[in-house]
Amino acid sequence: MHGGIERKLARWGIAFVMPAVAFFTLFSFYPIVSAFITSLTNRKILSLLRPDFVGFKNYGYLLGSPDFWNSIRATAVFTLGTFIPLLIFSLVIAFFITGMKRGQRSIQLAYYSPAILSSVVAAVIWLSMLDPRGLANQFLNALLGTHGIDHRWLASSTMVQLSTMLVYFWKYIGYFVIIFITGLASIPPGVYEAATIDGANRWQSFGRITLPLLRPTIAFVSIMSMLQCLKTFSTQYLFTQSGAPGAPINVITLNIYNTGIRDHLIGRASAMSIILFVIMLGFTAVQLRVSGGEKVSY
Amino acid sequence: MYTPVTPAQKITHSLVVALLILGAAAVLVPIVFMITASAMPAGDILAMPYRWIPRGFHTENFIRAIRGNDDSFIFLRNLLNSFIVASVVTLTTVLLSSVTGYGLAKFRFRGRQLVFLMIMATMMIPFEAIMIPLYLVATQLHIQNSYVGLTLPFLVNAFGVFLMRQYLLTYPQEYLDASRIDGAGEIWIFRAVVLPNCIPVIATLSVITFRTQWDTLLWPLLIAQSEKMKTVPLYIVKFAAEKYTDEGAMMAVALLASLPIVILFLTMSKYFIGGAAVYSSRKG
Repeated sequence: MHGGIERKLARWGIAFVMPAVAFFTLFSFYPIVSAFITSLTNRKILSLLRPDFVGFKNYGYLLGSPDFWNSIRATAVFTLGTFIPLLIFSLVIAFFITGMKRGQRSIQLAYYSPAILSSVVAAVIWLSMLDPRGLANQFLNALLGTHGIDHRWLASSTMVQLSTMLVYFWKYIGYFVIIFITGLASIPPGVYEAATIDGANRWQSFGRITLPLLRPTIAFVSIMSMLQCLKTFSTQYLFTQSGAPGAPINVITLNIYNTGIRDHLIGRASAMSIILFVIMLGFTAVQLRVSGGEKVSY
Repeated sequence: MYTPVTPAQKITHSLVVALLILGAAAVLVPIVFMITASAMPAGDILAMPYRWIPRGFHTENFIRAIRGNDDSFIFLRNLLNSFIVASVVTLTTVLLSSVTGYGLAKFRFRGRQLVFLMIMATMMIPFEAIMIPLYLVATQLHIQNSYVGLTLPFLVNAFGVFLMRQYLLTYPQEYLDASRIDGAGEIWIFRAVVLPNCIPVIATLSVITFRTQWDTLLWPLLIAQSEKMKTVPLYIVKFAAEKYTDEGAMMAVALLASLPIVILFLTMSKYFIGGAAVYSSRKG
């Protein structure tokens, strides 16, 4: 009798999870397997010919293609140039905000506000400000004491890369500040008090207490932001659509999109997708190792 | 909380606060620019130095933003599309996540752990890597330029399932057992006992899902070629590509596109910011 109820409940449990299992099989696992299989063919959209199996030829082509290596470079430059400043600034800002006596909430809100906007909106605002006649030039000229110089934010190859990083940094800084504030709040205040009594100043307590105790959050934020940066698309797409030079910011997602959808080379685009997937999988594995390995003890 | 004691510490502390405020002001500049420029005629936007306080409210920008490049007012249709897509996705995500999370948290069956791991594993598959196979499937099913096509890949996600499962793990088993003894059916228990107790976490999940979906650019870019079925991000891209010299109208579009999310934020900011924190704890 008792066994009967358990079996009945087990069936209910299976019934409850089945729809999601079916969904993930169809819309996550099938496509990634399909992407891998397609990457071994010369498939093209709109082509009536049956695609041929070409083995790892697409991968071979990509590894010898300057265009692909340019995308790897663009993605790596963007990722490193964005996530490292994001990590450092959000941590320092969060640390100082938690030390404020008044107005913590309003200042958090101010830093967080760009995160509310969608990434396309963020890109379009910056597109206007980075215009040769726009605010960015006015501001930088005022800062440098120069007059009427166009810094070519959307035209020169170095500046356009910097501009995309700027948009991303601006959009996500507040988000990571909030995550760090949550992480900082989980450190018992007693630890700081003990350090203060022992005569530690603020920098010492930051270096000796905050940083080590915050390691899991730091690991989490760095991997999260790194994965986000590897997938960046909206800003680069909008900038190139609005006339910015393509090559400097032709990140891998943009290349996948253009190769697959504009040039109809599905096989080659799929090979790029698989390479992106493997890179991200590698970083995720590193994250699991770094943050799952040890627990912090007080 | 840090308390400065000596005069030197007090000076440093004030300096730090001043820097924080300066940084916050810098972060707000683009937003203030968007708001003010949307209300200014072209000449004022490019004035040097920038006029931070608009002279009156110049509605022309908004009219051009809504009319579009071809006077088709397609923006309104695109706005409606974004609403429909984001609402449907939010609804199905909440429903499927809670059902699945409940099944994983409160029932014992063979393969339960495997199912959970399988769902978590999908978090590692970036959408950018599977968009082309999904696009090919969509073309075979002839669901381009339809709401079905726009919503299908996003009906539920691993994060939602994880969030609901973690929340329901702590839900007292006795409540469920008591209802079963009273003869209640499983679906009724889920709907009338479990769901009403999940309101805060459902609110968080809804806000995150709606906001993410409102922002989605890549999939609609593949699947919605007809102007009628485009969503707001696509409209912005097109508008910016064609009218990037018309800053006023561009900022008006940006402002109009942001309003729904800003309203959502103002009414539910607790869940909004809570969402960031939830993300951060998803590993612990």
